[in-house]
Amino acid sequence: MNRLILIIASRWSRLVLVLFLVLSLQTTVFADLRPFGIAAQVMLLFVACAGVSFGVSVGAVVGLIAGLMYDFVLTTPIGLGSLALGLAGATAGLLIYFYPNPTWWMQVIAVAVVSALGEIYFPLAQSMVGLDGWLQFRLLKVIAVVVVFNVVLAPGVLLISRWTLSERKNPI
Amino acid sequence: MANALSTRRRTIILLALTSIILITLDLQNSSVVSGLRSLFGTVFHPIESVTRVITRPIGNTWHGISDYNNVIDENVLLKQRIAQQEGATIAAAASVRLSQELLALNGLPTLAGINTVTAQVIGDSPSNFSQTIEINQGSKSGIRVGMPVLNAAGLVGKITKTFADRSVVMLITDPDFALSVKVVNSPQKVTTTTIARVNTATTSPVIPVDPITSVPDASTTTSTTTTSTIARFTPSVTTLPSTPTGVSSITIPFASELAVRETGVIEGRGPSRQPTVRFIDNSLRFGEIESGVPIVTAGGSRSLAPPDILIGKVSRVVERLGSAGPVLEIELVADLSNLSFLRVLLYQPITEKTTP
Repeated sequence: MNRLILIIASRWSRLVLVLFLVLSLQTTVFADLRPFGIAAQVMLLFVACAGVSFGVSVGAVVGLIAGLMYDFVLTTPIGLGSLALGLAGATAGLLIYFYPNPTWWMQVIAVAVVSALGEIYFPLAQSMVGLDGWLQFRLLKVIAVVVVFNVVLAPGVLLISRWTLSERKNPI
Repeated sequence: MANALSTRRRTIILLALTSIILITLDLQNSSVVSGLRSLFGTVFHPIESVTRVITRPIGNTWHGISDYNNVIDENVLLKQRIAQQEGATIAAAASVRLSQELLALNGLPTLAGINTVTAQVIGDSPSNFSQTIEINQGSKSGIRVGMPVLNAAGLVGKITKTFADRSVVMLITDPDFALSVKVVNSPQKVTTTTIARVNTATTSPVIPVDPITSVPDASTTTSTTTTSTIARFTPSVTTLPSTPTGVSSITIPFASELAVRETGVIEGRGPSRQPTVRFIDNSLRFGEIESGVPIVTAGGSRSLAPPDILIGKVSRVVERLGSAGPVLEIELVADLSNLSFLRVLLYQPITEKTTP
């Protein structure tokens, strides 16, 4: 019983619950508000924030989980999103590798860079399984809009990702 | 330090392997993966619905700010267009009904005989790399994967995923979309045939006379004159036996004036580029394709859509060298950026129906 409570109270359970909320925002309000026809990517933003806050390993695992959940609502093969977001999370985690104590603006810049890379990883992963046709000039527009959106939202999402993934004291 | 590096490496390798295994399983149409997807949909749908209700005011505010001027302009334009089209619609409806009656009389399939389900669009694709929308009707209403989806203008896409009470529609512009289509071309003026008849009872010819052909003076005989623009081809003159005075003649349609149809495949190319039609045969009879030529679904026992659903018109013809045939860029009749109510044709090809 204690073990079950520990699992429920763990940061990974909290992560899944928070990701459900983030995913629901992604599929509703952010899929609807499309400045210049481009949807903001808050799932990618969350993964990037987790990566820049907690490093490569946590970033990669958060990316894997978030990508898997994202894959379930997309029509693309399951695993593509987890691969792309996992890579994005790991890339974001490299910030801590080079700068163990990054300032807030360094984190925001890292989020911007990872957002741009994440938007390239996804069509690249798609073309690897034969779903090509997405690597076109429109990608530059997608990257520009997603980066701007993510930079604006990054300070808030950094706080949420830290709260979600922080280790708490043993509740029992 | 070395330990941390090793952990990181292991994590990334594990991540890549997991993803690749999942991709492989899904591409093999594994029932486990589709079961997981369905289970996730069941769990996630209530959360999504609640979020949609809560965030609707945000979306409305955004659209109110960003789309207000466009809506005003569009409203004025639409009022003008409605006024122009009201008369034409009545005539068109009569023609469509007549056409359907003729097709039914001849035992040919018509769209009127196919049941439809009306659905409302409830969501766009959350990704920037898939052109899909979500509608509020699913397998409970008889919708199955592959069924064609239309709006008032024409074909919009096809069903790619169904849940109990919602479905996902892949739009024509998605690079994964492909469908066999017909290009209905006006024929090239290669050969023209005229039948001139001087008959006391029949005052006007039943077939239009081409101005470049000669009309022979015949009081009791019927002549067929064929002229041609094909190099080194001399048309012949055929004399038909005379018909009794006062008896009406048989109407012989000009083969050269009938619409010529050629099949190809329409493929999406993303939201910023128009879909194209490929594999069009470069035959002489088909003639030169010009902009504005309509594109309709081809139908057939293996096609997912019934024949003659309007898709769009040719906006540009890209000629290719050799016998490859041209590539046609298509301007869709349906405005995919502004979809609200759609019709799902409950149509499945014979090959799909017989599959257990």
